Amino acid sequence: MRRWFILGALGVAAPAWWVLAVGAQPETRRPHFTDVAGKSSFTYRTDNNFTGRKYFPQTMCGGVAAFDFDNDGHMDLFFTNGAKLPELEKTDPRFYSCLLRNRGDGTFEDVTAHAGLLGKDLGFSFGVAAGDYDNDGYEDLFLCNAGRNTLYHNNGNGTFTDVTELSGIGKKPKDILSVAAAWFDYDNDGKLDLVVSNYTVWTPEIDKICAVNGQEYYCHPKIYPSVAHRLYHNLGNGRFADVTDASGLGTELGKGMGIAIADFNGDGYMDIFVANDTVRNFLFVNQKNGTFKESGYEWGVAYDENGNAHSSMGADAKDYDNDGFPDLFYNNLKGQIWGLFRNMGGKYMSYVSGMSKVSRLSEHSSGWSNGFVDYNNDGWKDMYSSNGDIDDMGAISRQPDTMFENVDGKEFRDVSTQLGADFAHAGFQRGSAFVDLNNDGFQDLVVTALFERPRILMNSADNGNHWLLVNTVGHRSNHDGIGAALKLTTASGRTLYNHVTTSDGFMSSSDKRVHFGLGAEKAIESLEIRWPSGTVQTLKKVKVDQILTVTEPAK
Amino acid sequence: MSGLKTGANCARLDKLKHVPPRLGKTVAVFLVVACGLFGQSSDAVLQQAIALHQAGDLDGAIRAYREYLAVQPDSVQARSNLGAVLARAGRYDEAIAEYDIGLQKSPDNPALLMNLGLAYYKMGRHAEAAARFERAITLSPQFKEQVTLLLAVCYNNLGRYKDALALLAPLESDKAGDAGFDYLYGTALIGDGQGAAGTAVIKRILSKGESAEAYLLRGTLELTAHDRDGARADLEKAVVMNPRLPGAHARLGELLLVLGDSEPARAAFAQELALDPDEFTSNLNMGVLAKQDQGYVEARRYLERALRTRPNDPGVRYQMANVDLATGNLEPARLALEGMIKEAPDFAEAHASLATVYYRLKRSADGDRERAISEKLMDQRDSLAAGTKPR
Repeated sequence: MRRWFILGALGVAAPAWWVLAVGAQPETRRPHFTDVAGKSSFTYRTDNNFTGRKYFPQTMCGGVAAFDFDNDGHMDLFFTNGAKLPELEKTDPRFYSCLLRNRGDGTFEDVTAHAGLLGKDLGFSFGVAAGDYDNDGYEDLFLCNAGRNTLYHNNGNGTFTDVTELSGIGKKPKDILSVAAAWFDYDNDGKLDLVVSNYTVWTPEIDKICAVNGQEYYCHPKIYPSVAHRLYHNLGNGRFADVTDASGLGTELGKGMGIAIADFNGDGYMDIFVANDTVRNFLFVNQKNGTFKESGYEWGVAYDENGNAHSSMGADAKDYDNDGFPDLFYNNLKGQIWGLFRNMGGKYMSYVSGMSKVSRLSEHSSGWSNGFVDYNNDGWKDMYSSNGDIDDMGAISRQPDTMFENVDGKEFRDVSTQLGADFAHAGFQRGSAFVDLNNDGFQDLVVTALFERPRILMNSADNGNHWLLVNTVGHRSNHDGIGAALKLTTASGRTLYNHVTTSDGFMSSSDKRVHFGLGAEKAIESLEIRWPSGTVQTLKKVKVDQILTVTEPAK
Repeated sequence: MSGLKTGANCARLDKLKHVPPRLGKTVAVFLVVACGLFGQSSDAVLQQAIALHQAGDLDGAIRAYREYLAVQPDSVQARSNLGAVLARAGRYDEAIAEYDIGLQKSPDNPALLMNLGLAYYKMGRHAEAAARFERAITLSPQFKEQVTLLLAVCYNNLGRYKDALALLAPLESDKAGDAGFDYLYGTALIGDGQGAAGTAVIKRILSKGESAEAYLLRGTLELTAHDRDGARADLEKAVVMNPRLPGAHARLGELLLVLGDSEPARAAFAQELALDPDEFTSNLNMGVLAKQDQGYVEARRYLERALRTRPNDPGVRYQMANVDLATGNLEPARLALEGMIKEAPDFAEAHASLATVYYRLKRSADGDRERAISEKLMDQRDSLAAGTKPR
């Protein structure tokens, strides 16, 4: 009675309010993220040595890798760092790299020095890629630098050895800025090869000063030359051959940023997408004979739909709509539109930024690292981006990260502000990795930002959804199983797809274990794995909510 | 032939208001052939029609002219008069149809061409209007003075700023200070990239007090010079001072798009189109935004409207071709892009899109060729623009 009396007293407005109240749907509970970096003792902060003078590479700093270097079942973290400029040397410990060992209790131990990964002798570092290139069961690291690139071999005893010279992988044209790399087995010979995304030719001596009204700004990339990306073929025995020209990569000149590795056309061979900054993007389609054909035009991913090349930054290729074909997502700068491309049956890509609402959601953000990640375990991969402007020239230069939640594989909605204050932190965010740090089946995030300590964002994992993490161990294929394609069918018949890769976003390397969110589904009917060797392995009646290690059959 | 006599002295100027803002004393005209020089056989119906027309009974006049034309279908004068009264009634489509019939009988009739041009002008179909005005002036140079400012408006709207300047610059010494003239002239100067001269004109307008037109011009200039804060302040002032000022909402919309505020930009374009459904910039940008949203039917509708205003605009045609490409209509896309490239061989984006079309049509060699051309053109353009501003 009282309720009706109040409604009546509200007069004309009351019915409208009443209708709204009745029509409102309860919001699905969303996990949120909490930064636990403060619980651990380490000194690393991303330091690009900005002291007033704006050197061109300073905008790119803070690569991150999530990998289990000691095989204790807990994913560890590695961060790259900048250098003193113009010396281009790590003259001070504040420029050193950082390896954090995951203790498994929510804290991390700085073991960089013991591991031999300080990188005192390196220049300015950008990206990092983790992968077991020698199939010894321990994850190795490749670092992209201004100056020589570096391959660290994991000795299996908590230490690493710089094997760059011996391996032959350090060879690259003089003064090239290498910014990102991806491990993959392009010829399916069971050994991981490496593709490196190069940006331009640069040294402190040729650095240009750009200014307007006396205020210096980071120069437009177009004043620096485009260069070829590089491909290194793993010969075995720890040696690599530079096959850039022989493979066909050498003829295409770009300004490389993020790399996404996937089998876009379903032919069993991994292809390469490279996001280029202010230059058209490249899609190198594997010709299955050791060569690649740059097919960005054919596939419709070279430009946006207006023929414009944007400042493409991070890149990731995963199947966001669960149709069995990996799709593509690259981010770029404020005022541009992030590219979401839907794979049309392995034949070409359709630009769907508009119909998926990504165009409207992304126009205010300057994205760097990115990726598809099913943060809420509902079975739909969401779109994450670490954000922050190139330069500090306006009120909204510092930006929060964004999470666009996947709505039934058709469109996305921005839920960034609902993921907690730590997620919403505004900064000049750069690198990012997806990783399950506490093995609870929910994806955590590690994000670097210029001038700051990294955020280690733990997923609250509290919405009750189920999951499966698959740790692939190759036998005839590469030990990591990178390139293996997984198809999961739930008891209800829902099919989910993913593949093994550590490369996503920009300058970063993620947890290699394949993650599936299952929503409310409590049973998996089958899990099919197509290994790079061609072997197809099917597991039936797989239990949910577990980390499942699957070893490739010997035959 | 009817009993109507013909002759240049048979024309009377019937004043009609026109749309360009602040054109002051400028007068646009529909020419009404009605000076009463009828022969013995002159038709009472026609006289009645003219009388009704002059008395302002438009419906009655239309009925009477039509009645007369049913008997005398070849009467160019009656046809012209009917067009004029239809135009006066705002029934421009019908007026244009009557003028077109008249021009079939008398293709070089400058009065008919002028009237037809005015009808198109009133509809905002500036390309068609300009073509008729130009032809009328060629045939009868005495019309030039009457039509100069209208033609300049057309040229400005068509982006033919150099042509507008050719008409307006000789008039500056006489007309400087006339707000309408200054606005037109300033628009042409800024459109032509003559920022300094445009600024001088803006100062001249502002010296007579604040005006929305001056702020619109200055905002446009600032937008061109990448002074986004200045542009925003001036353009917002312009729309507040005169929300009905043609082009002001469209320019503000363009700025908002540059700033990455697509929702307010959409609203600004929508406001402009509420004032003038044929406004070019707003139709083009609404088309592009709709295309961006993959609303291809809507995009096509806006772009077609933009094309009606500027039939050969390469930007709009390119967007239309990309709608075809995106919707899998490869043949229409190919034809359109090939046509564009023939007209504008340096259109790098068109080459890029055409490369994709060829690849999708499995014409790899053609795709390779277009791709190479596109990349070469883009490289050349990049080398010219490199490092000029922060990104």
